[in-house]
Amino acid sequence: MCGLWVYEMGTSDERRNRKAIVVFKPGGQVIEVEIGTLLSEAAVLAGVPLNLPCGGQGRCGRCRVKIEHGSVSHRGGVRLSTVDREQGWALGCQTVIKGDVVVLIPEQEKIEVEFKPRVVGAERIAIAAEFSGELDPSIRHVYLRIPPPSLADQTSDWDRLRRELVLQHGIQNVSASLSTLRTLSRDLREAEWNVTAVLDMGDPILDPCAHPRLIDLLPGDQTDRCYGVAIDIGTTSNVVYLVDLRSGRVIDRASAYNAQIQVGEDVISRIIFAQKQDGLQRLQRLVIKTLNGLLEELTTRNQIPPRQISKAVVAGNTTMIQLFLELDPRYIREMPFIPTLSQPLPVTAEEVGLAINPQATVDCLPVVGAYVGADITAGVLASGMYDTDALTLFIDVGTNGEIVLGNRDWLITCACSAGPAFEGSGVRHGMRATAGAIEEVWIDARTYEPTCQTIGNLPARGICGSGMIGLLAEMFITGIIDKAGKIRRDLPTPRVRVGDHGGEYVVVWANQSAVGTDIVINEVDIENLLRTKGAIYAGFSVLVRSVGVELADVEQVFIAGAFGQYINIEKAIQIGLLPDMPWDRFHYLGNTSALGAFYALVSRPMRRQVVEIARKMTYLELSADNSFYDQFMSALFLPHTDLTAFPSVIRLLERTGS
Amino acid sequence: MPGTVEIPKEKWTGAIRQVTLGATADQGGSRARTVTVGGETTLPFLFFEGAIPNPPVIALEVQDSYPADWSPVLLQAWGDALRDPATWARKAEELGADLIMLRLRGVNSNGQLTTTAQATATVRAVLQATGLPVIVRGPGQAERDNELLVAVAEAAAGERLALGLCEDKNYRTIVAAALAHGHLVIASSPIDVNLAKQLNILISDMRMPLDRVLMDPTTGALGYGLEYTYSVMERLRIAALTGDSMTQQPMICFVGEESWRQKESRAASGVPAQWGDLEKRSVTWEIVTATTLLESGADIVVLRHPKTVGVIRNTIRKLMAQ
Repeated sequence: MCGLWVYEMGTSDERRNRKAIVVFKPGGQVIEVEIGTLLSEAAVLAGVPLNLPCGGQGRCGRCRVKIEHGSVSHRGGVRLSTVDREQGWALGCQTVIKGDVVVLIPEQEKIEVEFKPRVVGAERIAIAAEFSGELDPSIRHVYLRIPPPSLADQTSDWDRLRRELVLQHGIQNVSASLSTLRTLSRDLREAEWNVTAVLDMGDPILDPCAHPRLIDLLPGDQTDRCYGVAIDIGTTSNVVYLVDLRSGRVIDRASAYNAQIQVGEDVISRIIFAQKQDGLQRLQRLVIKTLNGLLEELTTRNQIPPRQISKAVVAGNTTMIQLFLELDPRYIREMPFIPTLSQPLPVTAEEVGLAINPQATVDCLPVVGAYVGADITAGVLASGMYDTDALTLFIDVGTNGEIVLGNRDWLITCACSAGPAFEGSGVRHGMRATAGAIEEVWIDARTYEPTCQTIGNLPARGICGSGMIGLLAEMFITGIIDKAGKIRRDLPTPRVRVGDHGGEYVVVWANQSAVGTDIVINEVDIENLLRTKGAIYAGFSVLVRSVGVELADVEQVFIAGAFGQYINIEKAIQIGLLPDMPWDRFHYLGNTSALGAFYALVSRPMRRQVVEIARKMTYLELSADNSFYDQFMSALFLPHTDLTAFPSVIRLLERTGS
Repeated sequence: MPGTVEIPKEKWTGAIRQVTLGATADQGGSRARTVTVGGETTLPFLFFEGAIPNPPVIALEVQDSYPADWSPVLLQAWGDALRDPATWARKAEELGADLIMLRLRGVNSNGQLTTTAQATATVRAVLQATGLPVIVRGPGQAERDNELLVAVAEAAAGERLALGLCEDKNYRTIVAAALAHGHLVIASSPIDVNLAKQLNILISDMRMPLDRVLMDPTTGALGYGLEYTYSVMERLRIAALTGDSMTQQPMICFVGEESWRQKESRAASGVPAQWGDLEKRSVTWEIVTATTLLESGADIVVLRHPKTVGVIRNTIRKLMAQ
C-alpha cells in the first residue's frame, strides 16, 4: 500500500527535526534520516544510490521507486501518470520523506522497458511485421500438371501451358516475355510437366487492359513459397523489406546508406550530377548497387534464392524514383518543376538491374509532384490518415521533410529541404540507427556528465537521429547550449572544449567508445540540426495556416522518419521539432515509405488506394509562399523565437533554472 | 451635408520599455543628467493612438583616435577637435548632442593595437569632458571587443554606459561585464525581426534586465537598403506594440557610420555633375537617412556631421509638436 500523497513544494518546518526510518527493498538496507530528506539522499546514505542521469531534476524518470508503505510528499508529478502514482510509483529525486517508509528499488532494466515508451512520451517503432487487412497480392503461384505432348496432341508448349492455365485455374490471356519463352520448352521438360507458374495477375480494376504475365516456371509444386520485396529509396537511407506474400509477413529487413551520397548529399546535387556525362547512368548504377547489396544480405541470411522474389514495390521521392528508372530528373529542378511521370509503369527487374527474378515486376508507386513523391503517397497509405475523420498532421522527417495535413475528405502537402542530419549524415559523429548508435541521452544538470543508451547496449559508435534529439534537448535544458545553440565555453567540465569546428561537447570519451576517438557534438553539427528542425517546424506551421487552422486544432500527429527505434516526443518538443501539444496526440510510425510499399505489395486494394491518395493531394509550393522564410528564421532557435508557442518547455526551463 | 468622421484608431496592447542611459552622482555615476528613451505606446508620432513620453534623441559619434578614413567634409567640419576625444566630446555637447557615442577603433594613429589602459583612459577623459551619458562601442571584432569593453565596464563602473555591440555570436562577455558593473548593452542583429528578437531573448536569459538593453536593427543608408531597415524596424515596432515582450527594446540607429561610408558622401570628383556640391550632398544623405529612421521608430540616431544635428533637432521638435 502506498502512503498518503501530499503534493506540496518543499518541506514543512514544524516537522523538520523529527527522524524517520527508511527501509530499502529488495536489499533490506535500513537508514534513519531527518524528516524532509529527499528519498534519493536517503538512498545514498543507505549505500544504495539511485541512478540520477538528469542530476536529480525529476526530468528523466530513471530514479523511479515504489513506495510500498509509509508517508512521503512529492514535489511534482510531471514524469508520472495518475495510474503510476496510485500504484505507489515515485521519483526518488522528487520525493520528500514525511515519516517511516518502505521503498522498493526496481531493477534498472525494468524501468527502461516499462516506462520509457509510455510515460516519457517516447514511442517504440510500430513496424507492422504483418499486414492486418485482406491479403491480395498481384503475384500468384499456380501448380499445373500438364499432359505431355504426343503425336496425338502436338500443341505448342506455350499454347499448352496457356490451355492448362485456363482449364485448371481459369486464368486467361497470359503473356510472357521473349526471355521467358526462350527457356520455356526446357523448363517444362526438365520439370517433367509438373510446374508452378509464377504469375503477376496485374490489377484489372486499376487497369481494365491488364492481363496476367508469366514471370517464371518453377519445377514441381512450389506454391508454398512466394516472395516479394518492398523497397524505400531514400535520399540518404535505403531500406528493403523481404516479404512472404503468402502470409503477408515481413520476414526480414535491411538498410544501408544510398551509395549515391558519394556524388551529392541532397536531391538537388544529384540532379546536377545527372546532367554530367554518364552522370545519370552512374547514379542509377549506384542505387542499384546499394539495393542489390541489401537484397544479397536478405536472401543469404534467409536462404531464399533471389529467383523466388517475383515482385518489388518501390517507394521514394520523385527524384529517387526517376534516378532508379534512369529517367532524366533535370526538369524537376527547373521552373516550373515537372517530373517525367506521376504514375510510373511497371517494368521488369531485368530492365533496371535489380538482383531478383529477372522477370519480376518492379512497381514504382505514384508521385504527386516534383517534391512530393511516392515516399509520401506510401506514407499516407501506411499512416491510415486517408481514412480518418480526425484532422491529422503527417510529418516525414527525411532529407526532404514532407508534410501532409488532412483527413478522409482532403489532403494538402508540402515539402521542405531539411537536410540529412537526423539520418546521421551531415553530423560529425552521426550514424544510422544500427547497433552501437546512441539513441538516448540524459545529462546531469549539476556535473554535465551524460548517461547514454545505445542500440544493443554496445559501446557507442556514433549518434543516431533519436540520440541527437535527446542530446540536443538535454544540452539545452541543462544550459550547455544557449537558445541559439551556441555552446557555453565557461562551464566547469572537461567535456566542453573548443575543437576544429568551434565549441564542442564530448558525449563519449575515446576509451569508452567503439571507434577509438571521442564522440562529440560540435556547434556546426548543432547548426545543421537546428536548420533541419527549423525547416520542418516552419513547413508544417505554414501548411497548417494555409488552410486557415491553428496547430492546436490538429487532433493527431503521425511522425515518420529514420530517427531510430523510437522518438522521444518530449525531447522533440523541447528542441522545437514538434509542436507543444499533449504527448498522446503523437504517434511514431517509423519508416512509412517502406511500410506503404509493403502494404501495396501484399494488397491490390491498398495499391489502388495509393493512386487515389496521389490524386487527392493538393500540393503547396513553399517557395511560392512568402511566409516560409520568416517562419524558418523564427524556428532557428531553441525551442522557437515565439516562446509562447512552447509553454511546457518554458515551464521546464523555469523549474530547472537554466 | 456636414457630419463627423471618426478616424479609426489602433488599440495597441504593448509598450516600448523605457531605458535610461547615464547615472548622476546620486545614482552612482558622474553624469550631469541622464537620458531616457522608449516608453512609446504608439507608432512614431501617431499621438492620437498612444503616448510618446520621451522624444527621440541624438548621439554624436566620437572616436578614440584621428579618423583619417573619414570623408573630407567631416574632417573639415570638426577640424582639430578630431585629434582629441575629450575636446571632440566637449564640442559635440556644445553642438546640442544628447549623448556621446565613443567608438574605440582598436588601433591608434600609429597603427598599434589599443591597449586596455589606453581605452579606459580615453573613456575616463570623455566622461570628464562631458556631462552627457556615453555609449561605448568596441572595434567590432569579437576578441578585441571583449578585451576592451570588459576593461571599460570595470573602469567606468556605475556610469550606466551603453556597451556594444552584442551579436548572437559574441554577447556573453559583454553582457556579463555590463551586468557586473551596472551598464547597459546594445544588441545588434542583421536586419531581421527574428534575429533581433532571438538576441534579446539570449541576453535576457543571462538575467540582464530588459530595461538595460538597446536594440540595433542594423542601419542601411539611403540608397543602400534604407527601405529594408525601415520595414524591419516597423515590423519590430508593431510586434512590440501588439505585446511581443522580446521586441520591446528602444532602437538605436548608427546613421552617421552608414551614411558617410557611401560613395555619395565621399566622392568629390568623377561623379555626374547633377550630383552637385559634395558637402551639401553628403550632409543631406545623413539627414534623409536619419529622418526616415525616426519615422520608423528610431529612439536614438547616432550622427557624425555638426550640421545634421541642428536639422535633426529641429525635425524632432516639429514631429513631437502635437
